[in-house]
Parts: sequence; structure tokens; C-alpha cells
Amino acid sequence: MEEQGCPRCKTTKYRNPSMKLLVNVCGHSLCESCVDLLFIKGSGGCPECGTALRRNNFRLQLFEDANVEKEVDIRKRVLRDFNKKEEDFQSLNEYNDYLEMIETVVFNLTNGVEEEQTKKMIDQYKKENREIIQKNKSKMSKDEAYLDSLIEQEKHDAEFRKKILLEKELEEKNKKKLNKEALIDELMFSDMPASMIMATHKAATTETKENEPVQKSATHFSQGMKVGFQNMMPVPLEEGEAYQHVSITIEMCGPSLPLEDTLQSAGYLKNVRSTSDSERGGGFESRMACHRALQDALSGLFYFPGTSCS
Amino acid sequence: MFATSSQRKYWTFSGETELAQLRKEANERYIKTHGTKINEDSWPDYFFTVPEERVLCRHFEFLLKEFCSRFQPPMPKYVLGTSLCYFKRFYVHTSVMDYHPKEIMLTCVYMACKVEEFNVSIGQFVGNLKGDREKFANIVLGFELLLMDKLHYHLTVHNPFRPLEGLFIDIKTRCKKAEDIEKLRKDAEAFIEKSLASDACLVFAPSQIALAAILSVTSREGINLDSYVTDVLLEGASEENLKNTIYQIKRIKYMVKAQEPIARDQIQRLQRKLQACRNQDNNPESDVYQKKMEEMFDDEEENRSRKRARYEEEEEAETRELLGV
Repeated sequence: MEEQGCPRCKTTKYRNPSMKLLVNVCGHSLCESCVDLLFIKGSGGCPECGTALRRNNFRLQLFEDANVEKEVDIRKRVLRDFNKKEEDFQSLNEYNDYLEMIETVVFNLTNGVEEEQTKKMIDQYKKENREIIQKNKSKMSKDEAYLDSLIEQEKHDAEFRKKILLEKELEEKNKKKLNKEALIDELMFSDMPASMIMATHKAATTETKENEPVQKSATHFSQGMKVGFQNMMPVPLEEGEAYQHVSITIEMCGPSLPLEDTLQSAGYLKNVRSTSDSERGGGFESRMACHRALQDALSGLFYFPGTSCS
Repeated sequence: MFATSSQRKYWTFSGETELAQLRKEANERYIKTHGTKINEDSWPDYFFTVPEERVLCRHFEFLLKEFCSRFQPPMPKYVLGTSLCYFKRFYVHTSVMDYHPKEIMLTCVYMACKVEEFNVSIGQFVGNLKGDREKFANIVLGFELLLMDKLHYHLTVHNPFRPLEGLFIDIKTRCKKAEDIEKLRKDAEAFIEKSLASDACLVFAPSQIALAAILSVTSREGINLDSYVTDVLLEGASEENLKNTIYQIKRIKYMVKAQEPIARDQIQRLQRKLQACRNQDNNPESDVYQKKMEEMFDDEEENRSRKRARYEEEEEAETRELLGV
């Protein structure tokens, strides 16, 4: 990636970490000190493209790509005029056409396509829709209003919580004070030994602590969503019978077979070639082959086609 | 395992009579479809009779066995068992006249090699043959799919060799008086090989054949295993099962021993007869077959191009719709 730097004085972010790059409407960047130097009079030409610029139009560059920066800037300006809301249109289609028109305008201005024509169009639009533009400027959109109300609510809640916390602290302090005084009184006037008094006192204080109501933990986010995952995604509940394992019954069609585990104790394995180390490494054991041979030897002995087998 | 296999379900028949019936039906089916142009009186002279078919089949089974025993690299016995089983299954429902046994025999062996994981390439395989090897390779590969289809894709064959091994282990473990049975292994295997030449693998369970092999060789050696069979091996079996099993063993012994020698004097004549009456549609050397293959190939090509054209059309329509034209 290219190092970001001022095209005029060639300072880079690496050499001067505190350097700030600014941009103006033309989309070319300059560092802060160059801007100070060049626009000492308040206005002047861009050193790259010669566009007349004003000093107070310089903004901090947010995006690395100058084109994106330029587009964002242009979009902001265009939207200031093209501020119709969905409610201003009869149908969704019309609104979509309008949005598309905005995109075309922004694209044209950013990439310098039919600039003159587009500017003319904007002027015409401004003239035609002056009233609506003015009206919408003063009117807050629904979304904004909603967001504002949310922020308001949150603020309110925070304050409330703070207040409760404060009250509680105060209460605790008082209680401690009272306890202490009681203890001292008792030590002064009681006949019991001091250690016993201390013990009973300690027990009493812990008890009061336990009796305190446990504060309810927050169950909702400020957006109204519940804390935790209960509502994030509805997990489909699987209904139906739970799986029950039934071990398979092997149809032998012959006399019953000794279990694979008992082959060793029954002495079968003495008559089979024992496995080599490399075979054992692969998980092969002689009882497997032995069991298979026995199974094959017994299976089907009682098979008499014509008469039923099982 | 045999008890749950397709072999038991679809390829084990009740006996020789059922097999003979099925073979007769296959023979008649072929004659009926191909005998329309020929006078009905000359049918027996022109077409194969069922016994003639059997003679030729058994001759080729013998050739198959020879081929396998000479095969390089040496082939395990169960590959031979599986290929013979395929061969027999194939000609249960198909007439010899329909497909030449020589071609089917090679295909059976090749497929058995694959199924039994005896890894040989087709080049290595036809290397064991004399003559035009490329032609053989084409024949084998050409019939491979057909063979699988005719076997209904029931490719797992349970041979009697593993049951024999299991019985050896069992006898060594549970029958004290026959602990040196190992020396009879060769004879028992010979019995099983002999059983492969009969129809035993189409009628009996492999474990029964293995048991018959052991009982046959031990009785010849004068070792009596009767008490082992009834009290140890078949312990807890019902009276009926016991009786039936012993009957089956007897049947196997009889079937294996009573094989007639192949009538070699007839082979020459039958081969010549087969040249005349075989189904030319399935003869890889005939013009009809080659034409058919070419057509199939062309059809495929045509289908593909037709498909491609359709796709293109659809795509075009979609783009047109997208553009709103």
C-alpha cells in the first residue's frame, strides 16, 4: 500500500504521525501546514488542478481513496437539496426512481460525466421544488425522531440508575455507622465477654447483608431487545420421538456364534496367525479375522431353499 | 455374510430341477425370438438343445479354470471361485447362443479380479492371452457393463474358502481328537475346487460346501467327526435343522462326486454350430455389432449436441427476458 502523503511538501504519515490530510471539493488532498501556507488569504487555487477553493471548505480526509472522499462530499451536498422523503411520493416506484436519479447525479458529478448538464438539472430541480426542500429541511425525519427519543430514554434511565445507586450508598453508610455505635454501646454496658459480643455482632451484620434484595439484572437492551439469546433467533423445536438405540439382530441362519470378545478366552486365537506389529498399528487385531472366518463358517448352515430358513 | 446377502436372496436356487427349468426357459426364449425365419422342423439341427448348451458351458468353465491357474501374477483361489460363480449365474438366465461363452468367460474373470481386489490392469490381464490382445481388451471392456447388468449388480460372491478357514479354526479349538486336521487342508481345498465345477455354488450355502469338504476328506482318512458336528458345531440346533443340514451335506457330496466328464468329442462340432446360430447382434466381430456400436456412439454424440443446443436456447431466452425485450 502506498504511504499516504501530502503531494505538495511530500511529508508522509510515517515521518510526521501528527500530520493531518485535508481535502476540498475537488478531491485533491493537502496537509494542514500546506493549507495554512497556501490559503493564508482565505482563498486560492488547488495546486493540482487549479480549481478555485476556499480555505474554510477544507475538511479532514476520512477515506484514503480521494475518489471516495469526493463522492461522499458530493453526496452530502446533493442530499441537502434532494431531501424528499418517501412520504412525498405516491408510490414506491416513484420513490425508487427518485433515488435512482440521485445516484445518477452523484455519479455524474463525481466522475465528471456531463457535468454542466447535471448542474443545470440540479438548479432546475431546486427552482421547481424550493418549497418542499425548505419544508423538509426544517422537518425532522421519522427515523431521526425515533433515534432521538431512544437516546433521550437511555439518558433518562442512566440518570435514574445513578440516583438509586447514590441512595443505596448513603443508606449503607448510615447502617454501618449505626452498627458501629451499637457495638460500642454493647461493649460498654454488657456483662458478656467481649469475644462473644463480637461474634454475635458479626453474625447479625452478615444476616442483614443477606436480607438485602438482590438487584434485578437488566433484561432489556436500550433498543428493546432482550439480553441473552432467547430472542435472537427462533430455534426450530424438533418434535418427534427421541432416538432409541436398538442393537441389530444378525440373522445367522445357522448355529449361534461366539462373541468376538470371548474368542480369546475360548482359545480360538491360539489357532490363528497372530498379528504383526505393523498390522496392530493400523488397528487390526487377529480376533477380527478369526471372528469373520467363524461367522462365515456358521452362517447359512441351516439354509435349505425350498423350506424356510428362519 | 451369506445369510443376509444377495447371493442367498437371488442366486441360490432350490436344486438342479429349478436350474434346469430356468435354463430351458432361456433356451426357448432365444429360439422363439430368433427362429422365425427358419422352418420349425430344422430347429433342433440349427439351434442348441439344453444338454448341448450345458456341455459347451462346462467346457468353457474348464477353460476358465485353466486360464486362472496359469494366470500371471498367480491368482488367489477366491478369484477363480467368484469368476466361475459369475459365469454360472450369467448362463442361468441367458442362452449360450445369445452371448459367446468365450467372451463372457474372459469378462467374468476380469470383473472378479476387480471385485475381489486382485489388482490387475486390463493390459496386464490380456497379457495372459495369446493372439490379438487389443481385440480381447475391447471385448472384455465392451461386455463388462452388460455382464454387471445381467448379474443385476449383485457382485459380492461368498466363496466357500473363508468358511473352510473358519471351520478349521473351530475344529482345532473345539475338537480335541482332530487337532492335526491341518494336514488335510490341501484335500479339502481340492474338494472345494472340484465343487466349483458343479452347480453347487448356485444351490448351497458356502458354509455347507465347506463343511461337506471337511467331512468328505476326514471320512476318507478314517477320522470320524460325527460327534463334533452333532454335539459341538450344531449344538442346540433343532432336530429338523440337524437332519436338514446332514441331508444338504450328502447332496453336496453327491453333486461334487457325480460329475460327468465333459464330452470332449462334441466340442468341435458344437463350436461350429455356435458360429452359425449365435446372435450376431452380440458378436463383436460381426458387421451388425460394429454398426450398432457406431450408431450408439453417434446417438450419444447427437444427444449431446441436441442437449447443448437446448441449453443455449434457454440461456438466450433468459437473457432476453432479463433485458426486458
